[in-house]
Amino acid sequence: MAAVTSRAQRIGRPVSIIAILLVTAIFLFPIYWIGSTAFKPRNVATSVPPTVFFQPEITPFVKLFTKRAQLREQPTQEEYDAAPWWEQAIYDGGERVIKARGEPLLSQYPSRFINSLIVSVVSTVLAVGMGTLTAYGFSRFRVPGADDWLFFILSTRMLPPVVVAIPMFLMYRTFGLTDTHVGLIILYTAFNLSFAVWLMRGFIDEIPKEYEEAALVDGYTRIQAFYKIVLPESVTGIAATSIFSFIIAWNEYAFALIMTTRRAQTAPPFIPSQIGSGLPEWTVIAAGTVLFLLPVAIFTFLLRNHLLRGVTFGAIRK
Amino acid sequence: MRKTLTGLLAGVGMSIAYSSAALSQELTIFWAEWDPANFLQELVNEYTEETGVVVNVETTPWGDFQTKTFAELNARGDAYDMVIGDSQWLGAASEGGHYVDLTDFIKDNGVDKSFVPATLQYYSHYGGKFWSIPLEGDANGWAYRKDWFEDPAEMAAFKEKYGYDLGVPQDFEQLIDIAEFFTRPDENRYGVALYTQTAYDAMAMGLEQTIFTYGGDLGDYATRQVDGILNSPANVQALEAYRKLYTFTPPNWTQAFFVENNQAFTEGLVAMNMNYFAFFPALANSALNPHADNTGYFANPPGPNGHQHAALGGQGISIVTYSEKQEESVKFLEWFIRDDVQKRWGELGGYTCSAAVLNSDEFLNATPYNQAFADSMKIVKDFWAVPEFADMLFQMNDRLHPYITTGEGDPKAALDALAADWNSTLGN
Amino acid sequence: MAVLAKLDAGSPAARRGWSDLTIRNAFIIPTIAFLIIFNIFPLIYSLGFSFTEYRASLNRPAVFVGLANYRDLLSDPDIWRNFTITAKYVIISVGGQMLVGFGLALLLNRTFPFKGLITTLLLLPMMLSMAVVGLFWRLLWDPSWGPINYALGLGKFEWLSHPTNALFAVAITDIWMWSPFVMLLSLAGLSAVPQHLYEAAAIDRAGTWYTFRRITLPLVAPLLLIALIFRTMEAFKTFDLPFIMSAQSVETVAITLYQMAFQSWDTGRASALAYIVLIVVVCITNIYVKYLNRLRER
Repeated sequence: MAAVTSRAQRIGRPVSIIAILLVTAIFLFPIYWIGSTAFKPRNVATSVPPTVFFQPEITPFVKLFTKRAQLREQPTQEEYDAAPWWEQAIYDGGERVIKARGEPLLSQYPSRFINSLIVSVVSTVLAVGMGTLTAYGFSRFRVPGADDWLFFILSTRMLPPVVVAIPMFLMYRTFGLTDTHVGLIILYTAFNLSFAVWLMRGFIDEIPKEYEEAALVDGYTRIQAFYKIVLPESVTGIAATSIFSFIIAWNEYAFALIMTTRRAQTAPPFIPSQIGSGLPEWTVIAAGTVLFLLPVAIFTFLLRNHLLRGVTFGAIRK
Repeated sequence: MRKTLTGLLAGVGMSIAYSSAALSQELTIFWAEWDPANFLQELVNEYTEETGVVVNVETTPWGDFQTKTFAELNARGDAYDMVIGDSQWLGAASEGGHYVDLTDFIKDNGVDKSFVPATLQYYSHYGGKFWSIPLEGDANGWAYRKDWFEDPAEMAAFKEKYGYDLGVPQDFEQLIDIAEFFTRPDENRYGVALYTQTAYDAMAMGLEQTIFTYGGDLGDYATRQVDGILNSPANVQALEAYRKLYTFTPPNWTQAFFVENNQAFTEGLVAMNMNYFAFFPALANSALNPHADNTGYFANPPGPNGHQHAALGGQGISIVTYSEKQEESVKFLEWFIRDDVQKRWGELGGYTCSAAVLNSDEFLNATPYNQAFADSMKIVKDFWAVPEFADMLFQMNDRLHPYITTGEGDPKAALDALAADWNSTLGN
Repeated sequence: MAVLAKLDAGSPAARRGWSDLTIRNAFIIPTIAFLIIFNIFPLIYSLGFSFTEYRASLNRPAVFVGLANYRDLLSDPDIWRNFTITAKYVIISVGGQMLVGFGLALLLNRTFPFKGLITTLLLLPMMLSMAVVGLFWRLLWDPSWGPINYALGLGKFEWLSHPTNALFAVAITDIWMWSPFVMLLSLAGLSAVPQHLYEAAAIDRAGTWYTFRRITLPLVAPLLLIALIFRTMEAFKTFDLPFIMSAQSVETVAITLYQMAFQSWDTGRASALAYIVLIVVVCITNIYVKYLNRLRER
């Protein structure tokens, strides 16, 4: 894509670059704080006054993946020496690894992480797929009462979730959907659908329909025209919608908490729950957050060029 | 991409296989996410070794515990066979039909003789029946900084200012004096860490303890009378005392509960820390609390007229009505109340309510705070356990939190208003 | 609708493959049917119980009370206070997000080194979960161990325990988290602005402000409005941030609703309050949507 620059933008280039860096630094400060907390020794996380320099360690990640309880008696020197490094790190933190038949127990984090992946990926694909088709339908065809239907689609996001939670829960129990991956996938697809339809319609509206008409004249079927012309041109919209939908599903908390009990539990309710001994485990919460941020951040980074391509067709709209 | 998909499918497959393999010989207990739940998991692993029945302790963060439990119970869910619920829930859970009546179980198995009566009363008894077995005893106590209290310069300065020796407070007035004495914002030192959070029962627990200490009450639980009890002169005095204590808390202390309190203490911000005994192990652990060796513990001191009480924490274990494995659950409870299991529970770190264990020297000397715990468990009192308890908590928060944190308004008027609220909620 | 298919039954496409009508129905009906089926039961359930005195926690039948719940709620000064706080919160936080987000987009709408990376980094805040953001910002704002007061030299300045400060502290947190959302949508719109329009404006010696108002803004407006609609709807339902940050003075309607529904289990009253919220949000959104449609028709 050609760089789009305006007269105003050509002026003061270094100034704007400095501004960009400054704004980025401010925006990233809280992220930096969370990220650095994930590598802090426990006592440094909430010191008075705050600690800026510290010796980084990866103990928080070890803690994140293990089930631990507080030490009531110090381990003997032999026990300590015989333990692997990660177990020693936990001993050093005043805790011990809980074991069943000699085997250390994993925390719920890995299994919940996988559940989060399954539920978010599938629901995002469904929501963006259905949303794109529906948006195309509304954008290109005469639909009786189109504005009302669109408003209905929008309104499904208006009711505060706490209220629909109870009836939804009852409904899910009736159909045996509680604590299933399918149940959460349906739920998150429904959440994201209204957003996907609206956003994709905004993008598809920007694609001049003359393009399709030309293709149709050339002998394409309508489906082919949609597939070969509209989809490639709305890739920015699809990228943006996918990212937003994925983020919403990935981080959903309230329904994940109420609708699941074991098998389909996702990570968001688990991450902030690390208070075991009545002291918040800031470092472990941060470690869980950092790992949990990675999939979305990588996903977004891979799509960055599509995101930044913009709606390139506005030029010939007028 | 194909690999990812295969991985995902394998994940789904695994979870399905897992769920179908583990159906019959499995019990699920629901509790909040904290160390005692970990200890319980270790305890029940021994049950598995003995009987082959797998018992899972499922947990959820404290902040979501009540919501999650009642969402499941009110929808008649059978995901949990047993729930380890707060004492205030007894009314709602029993009247809602969610808990199995354990009255006969308790009498037949002699639990009423082997467990401390006060714990059975508060954790299990509601409306003339028993609905649970006391599982984790707990009460509100205090931790203090021994090194500050025993510093000669501080002791001399204290004696000069207040006319008596600095030490573990002998009554509540002394506790207030000491809090005032150590409040020095310039040195980043404050007197106390108190409960003030209004999201649930935090502030209510801290305040009710003070009210009981001043000889007051939250009403007559038997006759549901509130007027003249809740807004009595003793309660006004107690509310003023709690407000006064609040002025000796660190900055930004309007929404604090056990986590903030422990954190303030380990960071060396406060001289005294109100907290549940269940959260004291962290303070005795030198890896978690740099002042562990300088930390002492005491039970809530008596009020001006000698009334001495502690707010009740802890939970009892109940069988869920909708569980399909009630018989198996009863068998588990029969195992759990055995003397040797209760002893083991105490060893693992659980706060047993078994009288024999609680009174043993072995238990009392096991930790620096167990003595204060045993003392406190004899003086516990609790909040209303009626089904409307949640409304009453919110009304209490709404009416009293502003006075406690700002000092504005009239304490008597605030209590009168609360009494009116409670009367209407209780249908008086 | 602005963009209408000119291709009707007689078009060349219709003669090959599926007819336009079939395609339209196949594309639209599943979505609408799914959303109706999924939402209809919860909506009817809540509507029904909003006319009753009912607690889902007790084994007592619901008692029909007509409009009593609505009447009680609308005459309750606490509820009005909740709505006022919510309104203030929505205005500050959504307004802030639109300004910051659009400003960021204007700033980023040029070529510079590592543009893709920096854009991704700026999107990080909204990738976090609300619970984590709430927890960590609570830590950041803390006067004793938080870095904000420390870095800015604010000493013991109390953010979250002071009613007015708390509103701003929570709103700033929300602005931090969701400005990137507005930024991304604005950026997509901005890059659509054709260069020749700017060149023409430059030849006419149009001022920067004029160029912005007459060229940039109108072309970005539709996507910006979609961002505004969704952010307003979300902000109106705000629950997590103030709740987790323990900024009790920021008692939004959604918090009251949560306590009513899930802690008091006052199902009837909570349902009624939910419907009041729904009506308010529908009204606000309707205004936006009308405006958006007018923009589109231009």
